[in-house]
Amino acid sequence: MTASRILLVDDDVELLEMLKTYMEREGFAVTFASNAEAGVAAALSDDFKLVVLDVMMPRMNGLEALSRIRLQSRIPVLMLTGKGDDADRIAGLELGADDYVPKPCSPRELVARVRAILRRTQPAEETDAEPATIESGSLKLFPRQRRAEWAGKQLDLTSTEFNLLDALVRSAGRPVSKNELSEHALGRPLARFDRSIDVHVSSIRRKLGTLPDGRSWIQTVVRHGYQLIEE
Amino acid sequence: MGRLFWKFCFFFMLAQVTTVVGVSAAIWLRNSSAHTSDNPVPALVDARLLDATVALSERGGEPALRELLLDWSRTPGPTVYAVDADGREILGRSVPKGAGENARAPTEQAGPQNSRHVVLADGRAYMLSVDGWSPGASFGQGGPGGRGGPGPLLFPLAPIIGGMLASLAVAALLAWYVAKPIRSLRQAFQAAGHGNLDVRIGDGMGRRRDELADLGRDFDRTAAQLKLLLDGQRRLLHDVSHELRSPLARLQAAVGLARQQPANVEASMDRIERESIRMDKLLEELLALSRAEAGLGVGHEENVDLVELVHDVVRDAMFEADARSSSVAFDTDMGALGATTVIGNHEMLHRALENVVRNAARHTPAGTRIHVAGTHDAARREVQFTVTDEGTGVAATELGAIFEPFYRGSQARGTAGHGLGLAIARRVIEAHGGSIRASNRATGGLAIEIRLPA
Repeated sequence: MTASRILLVDDDVELLEMLKTYMEREGFAVTFASNAEAGVAAALSDDFKLVVLDVMMPRMNGLEALSRIRLQSRIPVLMLTGKGDDADRIAGLELGADDYVPKPCSPRELVARVRAILRRTQPAEETDAEPATIESGSLKLFPRQRRAEWAGKQLDLTSTEFNLLDALVRSAGRPVSKNELSEHALGRPLARFDRSIDVHVSSIRRKLGTLPDGRSWIQTVVRHGYQLIEE
Repeated sequence: MGRLFWKFCFFFMLAQVTTVVGVSAAIWLRNSSAHTSDNPVPALVDARLLDATVALSERGGEPALRELLLDWSRTPGPTVYAVDADGREILGRSVPKGAGENARAPTEQAGPQNSRHVVLADGRAYMLSVDGWSPGASFGQGGPGGRGGPGPLLFPLAPIIGGMLASLAVAALLAWYVAKPIRSLRQAFQAAGHGNLDVRIGDGMGRRRDELADLGRDFDRTAAQLKLLLDGQRRLLHDVSHELRSPLARLQAAVGLARQQPANVEASMDRIERESIRMDKLLEELLALSRAEAGLGVGHEENVDLVELVHDVVRDAMFEADARSSSVAFDTDMGALGATTVIGNHEMLHRALENVVRNAARHTPAGTRIHVAGTHDAARREVQFTVTDEGTGVAATELGAIFEPFYRGSQARGTAGHGLGLAIARRVIEAHGGSIRASNRATGGLAIEIRLPA
C-alpha cells in the first residue's frame, strides 16, 4: 500500500518540520508549504490526498487559500483553527473544509483526524455488498464513484458533504442523529458545541433545492439530527 | 414619564398654587375687611340711634324730635334725618342721596337698620333715616359710598382654577424640558452598563446648550474613550492567545515526537526547553508592555544620563551580535547630546531604546552598520535620538502600524520576536511625554526617531 501523500500548509516552519517527521513515522508521505500561495499551488497539483491548512497565516490567510482551492478542487481539507475562533471555524466549513482541528493540538490527534477523513473519502469499492447506486426520489448516489446526482444533474459536493448525504439517503424517511452523522461523515463523535454538522448540512441544502412547498429536502429534527424527506 | 418629571411637575405646581392662593386670599381679605368696616357694629349703632329717635319722638312729639335732631346736627357723628310725607326734612336740610332714597319711599324698601317709619301722636308720619358714620371714611363723602360696597363678594374661584390650569401646563412643560435629557442620559448609561459603548447622546440633545447638554457630550467622549481602551485590550488579549498558540503547538509537536521516537528524546527535550523559554520571554514582554501602559509605576523617577544609557544599550547589542556571529557594526554619534539628562524611569527607558536598537540589528543585513545619533535641542527643550539601519525598510502603509503590539512587517516573519518590542518602546516614550516615529530613508533602511522632553 502506497503512503498517502499529505500537504501541510502553515507559516511556522519549525512546527512543520516536527509534524513532517512525526507523520512520516506514521506512514504518510508529507510535503509542506510555508505560505498560502505555495500551498494553494501545491494543493491544486493533484499530487495529494489531503491538505492540512492553518487559518492564521500572514498575507493570504487560510480561509482565502481554501476558497481558492475550492474553486478548482474537491480535495479533502483539514483546517487548523485557533481555539475559540468560532467565526473562522464556521467560515472554513462553509467554504468547504471537511473538518477542523483546534491548534495547538497534539500530533497524535492531528494524525487521527487525517486518518478519519482519508478513510471516509476512499471510494467504497472493496466491499462487495455496496450497491452501485442508492436512490431516494430525485437523488441518486454512486458510492463507488463518490458522486451524486439530483434529478439527473451532477451535484458538486465535498467529501464530507457526500458522506453526510450518503448517511441521510440510506436512512431516507427516518431521522439520523447528529452524532451518527458525525461518525459517518467525519469519523469522530460530535463534540459539545460543535456546529460542523449543521454547517455542512446547510451547504448541502443550498445545493439540493427545495420541496414544491418551499421546505428543504433535509428537515431538522430538533435536538436530534436531520432527516431526508422521502417522496 | 419618570419620577423626576412628576416631582418637578408637583413642586412647580405647588409653588404656583401657593402663590395664586396667597395672592387671592390677600385680596379677598382686604376686600371683605373694607366691606365689613361699616358692619356690624356701626350698623348696630345706627339702628339703636334710630330706635332711640323713634321712642323719643313718639313720646315728645314733633318739638322733641326737632330739638333732638338740631342738637345732633351740631356735633360730629351720624346724622339722622326726618322726612315727612311731603318729602320735606324736618330741619329743612337737604337729604343725601342714600338716606334720601329711603326716606322718599318710606314704606317700601325701608330696611330695619338704616331707616325707621314713625307716626307721631298728632298723626304726622316721618321717615327717619341715618347717614352712617364710618371711622375710615371722611364725613362729607364716605357714608353712602361705603355703605353701597363693591357688590356681591364671592371667593374668586374662576381665576384661581384658570391660573392653576395654566400653571399645570407650564409645570408639565418645564418638567418635560428637564426630565427628557435626563431620561436619555439614563438610557445611555444603562446601555453602557450592559456593555454597549457605541451608544451616543449627542443627537438626542438637539441644539440644546446647557449643563445637561454638556453632560451628554461628556458621556459621549467617555464612552468613546472607554471603547477605544476596551477594544485595544480585547485585541491584545486575542493577539496574546494567538501568540501563545505557536509555541504551544511546537511544544505539543515536540512532546508527540518524544513519545513516538524515544531514541530521540534528547532533541525533543531541547526543543521543549527552547519553547518554554520563548513563552517566558513573551510573558515578560507582555508584563513590560502592561507596566508601560499603566504609566511606568510611581516612585521610579530619577535623572537618567542619556549618553550613558545609549552606550550601555549599544554595548549590549554589540555583544549579542557577536554572540550570533552576525557581522553588524554600530556607530554612535552622541557628541551633540552633551551631559543632558532626562527625568524618568531608567529601566524602562533602557528597555525602550534597547528594543529599538535590537529591532534595527535584527533587520539590517549582515555586514552593514547601525547608526545611533543623539542631539539636544535647547530651544525646544527636547532630546532627539535617531536609530537607522540599512535593511529593506517598511512599506509606507505600515510605518505607523509597526508600533502596534504583535504587528510584524509583512516582509519579515520568523519565529524571532513577538512584535512587542516597538510597542513597548512607544508606550515607554509616550509615558515620558515624548514621541516616536518611523520613516524610510532615501538610501534604504529604516530610521526610527525618538523625541524626549529634556
